[in-house]
Amino acid sequence: MSSPPPIEVRQLRKVFHQATSGQAVVAIERLDIRIEPREVVAIVGQTGCGKSTFFDLMIGLEAPTEGSIVIGDKTPYGDFDHFRGQIATVFQQDRLLPWRSALDNARLPLELIGLPEEVQRERALTWLKRLGLERFIDAYPHELSGGMRQRVAIARAFVVQPNILLADEAFGHLDEVTAAELRETFLALARECGSTAILITHQLEEAIGVGNRIIVFGKSAKLLADIKVAQWPKSEHAMLREAIQMTLQSNSPDPRLARVS
Amino acid sequence: MIQEHRELAVDPRFPRQTLVSVLVFCIVWEILSYLAPSLGIPAFAIPSFVRIGQSLLTITPIDVAVTLARVIGALIVSFVLGLALAMAMYSSRSLENYLHPMIRLFMAVPVVSWILFAVLWFRGVEFRIGFVLLAVCGPVFLIDSLDAMRGVPRDLRGMMRSFRPTTLQFFIKLMLPAIVPSIITSWKINLSLAIRVVTIAELVGAVTGIGHQLAVAQELFSVADVFAWTLVLVALLFLLEALVIRIESRLLRWRP
Repeated sequence: MSSPPPIEVRQLRKVFHQATSGQAVVAIERLDIRIEPREVVAIVGQTGCGKSTFFDLMIGLEAPTEGSIVIGDKTPYGDFDHFRGQIATVFQQDRLLPWRSALDNARLPLELIGLPEEVQRERALTWLKRLGLERFIDAYPHELSGGMRQRVAIARAFVVQPNILLADEAFGHLDEVTAAELRETFLALARECGSTAILITHQLEEAIGVGNRIIVFGKSAKLLADIKVAQWPKSEHAMLREAIQMTLQSNSPDPRLARVS
Repeated sequence: MIQEHRELAVDPRFPRQTLVSVLVFCIVWEILSYLAPSLGIPAFAIPSFVRIGQSLLTITPIDVAVTLARVIGALIVSFVLGLALAMAMYSSRSLENYLHPMIRLFMAVPVVSWILFAVLWFRGVEFRIGFVLLAVCGPVFLIDSLDAMRGVPRDLRGMMRSFRPTTLQFFIKLMLPAIVPSIITSWKINLSLAIRVVTIAELVGAVTGIGHQLAVAQELFSVADVFAWTLVLVALLFLLEALVIRIESRLLRWRP
């Protein structure tokens, strides 16, 4: 796998128009971020702050109203096909296709790339085994537990060995133990693959636990804080959590965050 | 958790109540056939089962085969065209805006009108029957497929698009498998519709097929023959439905 390119978000703006009233709603207002290759970034923000819109823009499912997201020298929306097999996603719900077995779900992205069938099977099997699902490769999604389904979804994301991994509240719906276990697995695999990982979450514990870096979104994805987690010793994580909490509540950066980072 | 035991599907195709009701009908019919002359009803109007059985022995397989071929052929063509048009309309909102009202209009046209149009417009019998079946069944396949495509969960569409499929891959890997249950239902509806429509169309202008044989039986005042050919039609429908159900259970074996 080639080294992942940096991601540059420049003056990104996204405006939606309500279908009924035609009223403009600003989902993202002039966002600037740069994400370095292989960084693990957690994006936190309250519900409706524009996290999911940012996610859709990152994947290339939506076009920016103004500004751009540039990955290397390409944009995920404008150069949509260029990123086939390079960007992979894990969603909040597993979003497995119910008519496909675990194996067939895991190999779906490889089918889309057009790899030979034996290669697809072999690679999907490898990833399912790594995620502890070797006994369930022929099981349909309804025959698997929530945690197992999410493992299949993770296998489906990693099977293409993507440059960029996106996870949108991927573990939020699972019980704490399963979520922690899957989070660890996800991060270990992302590091091993050398992928840049962007995790969107509303859980501060999760953000502090996984990210090298935490980006805090306010309303309309206003950049409230950009925190390097390494600058916060573990003993101060409680204070960090409190400071992010205050930032989110007041929709303005907490002074403690500025002082340290 | 994986389910260790799957429930066995119980298919009570011939429950006791069905057998009883059919048996009662047969007994009443048979009694009526014997009593008909004394009730002032002509004997030929309610033939006995022996007479119907004799008519069944005279059924010409070629007419059954011709009707079957017309039904299946027209359904396949209607399905392919309906599905292709549904895919095009799903992909292009403006195309849908233009075509949807016309399709609804076509669906409101009575079958008899289509038959009359076919007789007036076309010379060949096969072409007339094919046209009528296409005009009646095509829009049903189209609208059912389009509605089913619109019903595919947004989450799944988003997931699929995130992996950047081509348009063809998007339909083959996601949309078509997702709408299989609706397509099967559409086939079941269209099967009975097509058998009725083809019979009427054959009744009017064909020289072969079950409809034509029904017209001959009517000209000969042979209720036994009408009964026999009707039984064949019903059996044909049941057989085709059984085939569709078998295909359905195979295609939808993933369902819990």
